[in-house]
Amino acid sequence: MANLTMKKADIIAAAIVIPICLYVFYESEKWPVLALLGRPFVIPRGVATFLLVTALLLLYRAWKGRALALEKRLEGADLRRVIGAAVITFGYLPLVERIGFVSTTFPYMLLFALVLGERRWPRLALFAILVPFVVYLLFSTVLHVPLPRGWIENSLREHGFALFFR
Amino acid sequence: MVDLHLLLHGFATVLSGYNFVALVLGSFFGIIVGAIPGLTATMGIALMVPFTFGMDPFRGIVMLLGIYTGAIYGGGIASILIKTPGTPAAAATVFDGYPLAQKGLAGKAIGMATIASGIGGTFTALCLTFFAPILANFALRFSAPEYFALAVFGLSVTVALTGKSPLKGITSGCVGLLIAMVGLDPMGGFPRFTFGTVQLTGGFSFVPMLIGLFALSEGFRQVEVILTAPKVSAVLTNIIPTLRELRECTRTFVRSCIIGLIVGVTPAIGAETACFIGYSEAKRTSKHPELFGTGILEGVAAPQCAENASTGGDVLPMMTLGLPGDAATAVLMGALTIHNLQPGPLLFRDHLELVHQMFAGMITANLIFVILGLTFARLFAKVINLDRRFLVPLIFIACMVGSYAIDNDIFDMITCVFFGFIGYVMIRYDYPVSPMVLAQILGVMMESNFRRSMAMSQDNLLILVTRPIAVTILILAAFTTITGIRHQQKALQMEEKLAAAAAAAREGRQG
Repeated sequence: MANLTMKKADIIAAAIVIPICLYVFYESEKWPVLALLGRPFVIPRGVATFLLVTALLLLYRAWKGRALALEKRLEGADLRRVIGAAVITFGYLPLVERIGFVSTTFPYMLLFALVLGERRWPRLALFAILVPFVVYLLFSTVLHVPLPRGWIENSLREHGFALFFR
Repeated sequence: MVDLHLLLHGFATVLSGYNFVALVLGSFFGIIVGAIPGLTATMGIALMVPFTFGMDPFRGIVMLLGIYTGAIYGGGIASILIKTPGTPAAAATVFDGYPLAQKGLAGKAIGMATIASGIGGTFTALCLTFFAPILANFALRFSAPEYFALAVFGLSVTVALTGKSPLKGITSGCVGLLIAMVGLDPMGGFPRFTFGTVQLTGGFSFVPMLIGLFALSEGFRQVEVILTAPKVSAVLTNIIPTLRELRECTRTFVRSCIIGLIVGVTPAIGAETACFIGYSEAKRTSKHPELFGTGILEGVAAPQCAENASTGGDVLPMMTLGLPGDAATAVLMGALTIHNLQPGPLLFRDHLELVHQMFAGMITANLIFVILGLTFARLFAKVINLDRRFLVPLIFIACMVGSYAIDNDIFDMITCVFFGFIGYVMIRYDYPVSPMVLAQILGVMMESNFRRSMAMSQDNLLILVTRPIAVTILILAAFTTITGIRHQQKALQMEEKLAAAAAAAREGRQG
């Protein structure tokens, strides 16, 4: 079972890499070759060729059943937490710039800690409230780096909360 | 040669005001990062790089050096207390460190680990100080063909010697080379692999990618093992070893310092290899090799001294040739570049005072973590018990916000998360991440110098094989790669044998 998982991973990796190598050859055909530019396609095509060979070797090794074994502790590992963390993190990205850092990070921290198994609500709430404010203050006042404000924080600023959202 | 006057001025700068505070905070943070299993030195440096933007360049760099040296040392604390290395570099410390803790000597083991690490790190920091100017002076003779050969040397060693499978290391490295080509052609200015996207015209931002690949990917790994993190229960007493115990380890210190320096100077091989070689050599040359694995102080001193001794060696090629010694120094290179300092021989020519300040910073950093390690050993032991359910989300936020802070661009945050997830998947299936990152740095160096060589020679490839220094480096690259692969396979087998021998020794003692 462990070998099958690693075997699948190697086959998928090869399946991703091979079209990339072919694309490099396709696109490099369109590049200009002029004096003083050298040959711009040499290194990219050289690398793509090398990569193609290694991908085919990986494919061959996986097909022959010689893929390395998955680490013991990972066999049967519950990936639901990882998938949950990935989903909420990728979901956080489009929202943070539109809605604002503080407003988006509060539910993000809450959901993340829930995904990791934290169920003590007072600690959870305190953590989710404190982290966005502390990080915001640290970046905006100490490091002078503005964080995404979004429409909620811009509205609050316009309505008299400029002290908190500089 | 090193300028002693500038070096003394460097020490004065390091020890003054906020620079000293930055160094101490960096070391403190580094030890904590190293002590928590799963958080690596590379991750700690990558996380803190954005925080150094607003700082004076030297202050930021000295803070990162403090994190680097502190984290490499800090890994030994977890090795001793919970039989789980805090960083990969401390893997060999488990063999005798944990048995010492089981005997009730955890404090003594940590004390010996701290002092051994300080000795190793200080020794190679001094070597760096005295040898770096000589190497940089020699490197001023290099032209495009020599830099091309250096890049090939670095790439060949990097991809072949990282991870369990050279084939997967090569795949990872080649993908890194292709990623480095995204953006505008360096000489022609036409877009390559941008798919018509404006954001990719400048290529992928290097630091967000670094943060994603090294820090966020570890965050995802921590999510996977969140419920299995072991707890510390040992009580630490008698932390400082006696003079007699230190004297008995003198030969071990000397041997491990030299091993660490040699391993560190070799590109792509870092502290992880140094600790195993240091341990195995100490065992091989000992009058009582059968005692190794049962819990002896020499078994802790050897790997800890060697792993910190490799730090100076890793920084040496990075500063003098622009060739990163390992993943951590690749991140340090990124930090230097952000502060408009290009590592290489020109750094010595144009910023000699800063270079000597960095030497002073490196030496001081190794002394600072010894003081912090001995003083706050009990606190660092408690840090291992931090609740991961709060620590991991903090790591994610620090990574994303740090990436955003570079250019106030949400695309950098997306880059960080994307590469973080890719890095996690790669690590899970044994595709090493370090070659991908090192290849991006070396790939740019390789391609630009190849193109310049072709422009110099009017497209004549013989220029790469007719210049003596370039040819020597290329031959060295081929030789090192072939012998290195063989040694790496032997080292992996040795690692397994040592682990089995240590386990057998413990069972024999308990029986």
